[in-house]
Amino acid sequence: MKEILENTAQIKEKIDSYIRKNTLSNISNLNDKTLLFREGIFDSMAFVLLIDYIEETFGIKASDEDLIEENFESIEAITRFITHKYEVSTVR
Amino acid sequence: MNKKNHNPFSREIVILENEKSECDAIVARLHDNVIHRLHRTGAVIGISGGIDSSVTLALSVLALGAENVLGIMLPEKDSSGDSARFAQQLADKFNVRAITENITGALQGFGCYQRRDEAVKNIFPEYDPARYKMKIGVKNSGLYTNLPPLFSLVIIDDKGVEQSKRLPAPEFRQIEAASNFKQRCRMSMLYYHAERLHYAVIGTPNKHEVEQGFFVKYGDGGADIMPIGHLYKTQVYQLARYLGIPQEIIDRTPTTDTYSAEQTQQEFFYQLPFAQMDLLWYAYENKYDPSEVAPVMEMTVEQVKSVFVNFERKFKTTEYLRMAPIRE
Repeated sequence: MKEILENTAQIKEKIDSYIRKNTLSNISNLNDKTLLFREGIFDSMAFVLLIDYIEETFGIKASDEDLIEENFESIEAITRFITHKYEVSTVR
Repeated sequence: MNKKNHNPFSREIVILENEKSECDAIVARLHDNVIHRLHRTGAVIGISGGIDSSVTLALSVLALGAENVLGIMLPEKDSSGDSARFAQQLADKFNVRAITENITGALQGFGCYQRRDEAVKNIFPEYDPARYKMKIGVKNSGLYTNLPPLFSLVIIDDKGVEQSKRLPAPEFRQIEAASNFKQRCRMSMLYYHAERLHYAVIGTPNKHEVEQGFFVKYGDGGADIMPIGHLYKTQVYQLARYLGIPQEIIDRTPTTDTYSAEQTQQEFFYQLPFAQMDLLWYAYENKYDPSEVAPVMEMTVEQVKSVFVNFERKFKTTEYLRMAPIRE
């Protein structure tokens, strides 16, 4: 866990920026609710790289149980997932 | 979804009505393609003892005559011993010349095993290929979710104790790229013999392998003709029975035969039994409405939709594999 927790807006901005930089698809209509995998923005390898990026950038660990659509389907979902991980860690 | 003009969806929809007429049509095309289009006099086929290469060999014998077909077994040190036994049984049954080309030395020359093991050790430092077997598995059960599958690395020690970890991208790519030397070495050897004999290389992928991208570009995807590339697995099994492929081969579970640990194709790639895969792929490519497909498959409409999303992604993301070199 990183010492300085980032706020939701910062997390969302970083995820948005990462996706824009790393997708090979047309993202002219990308927004926080765009379904990244259903719309073909990210494929299997991009999903692996996204998880690596999240773990490295935000200092969290995604367990097997975390790897569900609810946590990764959109920028909004990913932001919520990272924020939740931060909160759980802080409570502990 | 635009529905084509087609028959009601049913569990029988991919079954060939007449094996003989399908077989005759393939044989006629194969003969014409080898002799008249490629101007070659025979066929070289890599035989693994699996059902696809067995059916391809049998069709080639009918198209070109047993005396003009060469079956080549291409084992390496991770290959299952059963593969050679079944392949020889097949060659004997169809009276085809069969030779063995062990590609272990070539793979060592390429550094295939060393490069693969280096990536495995990044994940499991204790990994020793003399003590452990390894394979790649699918981590999340992907087809009923819209997320793509994630791959895991599995190592199994000599006592059968299994460990599994999610594969980060760099290690996944290195293991995959190193392992692909196997299919590319086989392709090189097949072309050596094909050129030596003035034969064509007959590829063995079925429809799922071609369209879902379950092949190695310029590896098992490197061939002159793919005579069963349009057939669903159900249809391959129908032709196998019609052609008299040995029952032991028909009864084998399709494996990747790529990693040192045993691994089925369903476990590694398809994530569904073939009978289900065939029907769902047929429904997807013929644009059936998920609400018509779901009750037949005893699935929910949402599950069918998710499977279709996964199929669409697989087809699109593997287009690169099917593309010829871009020339403009």
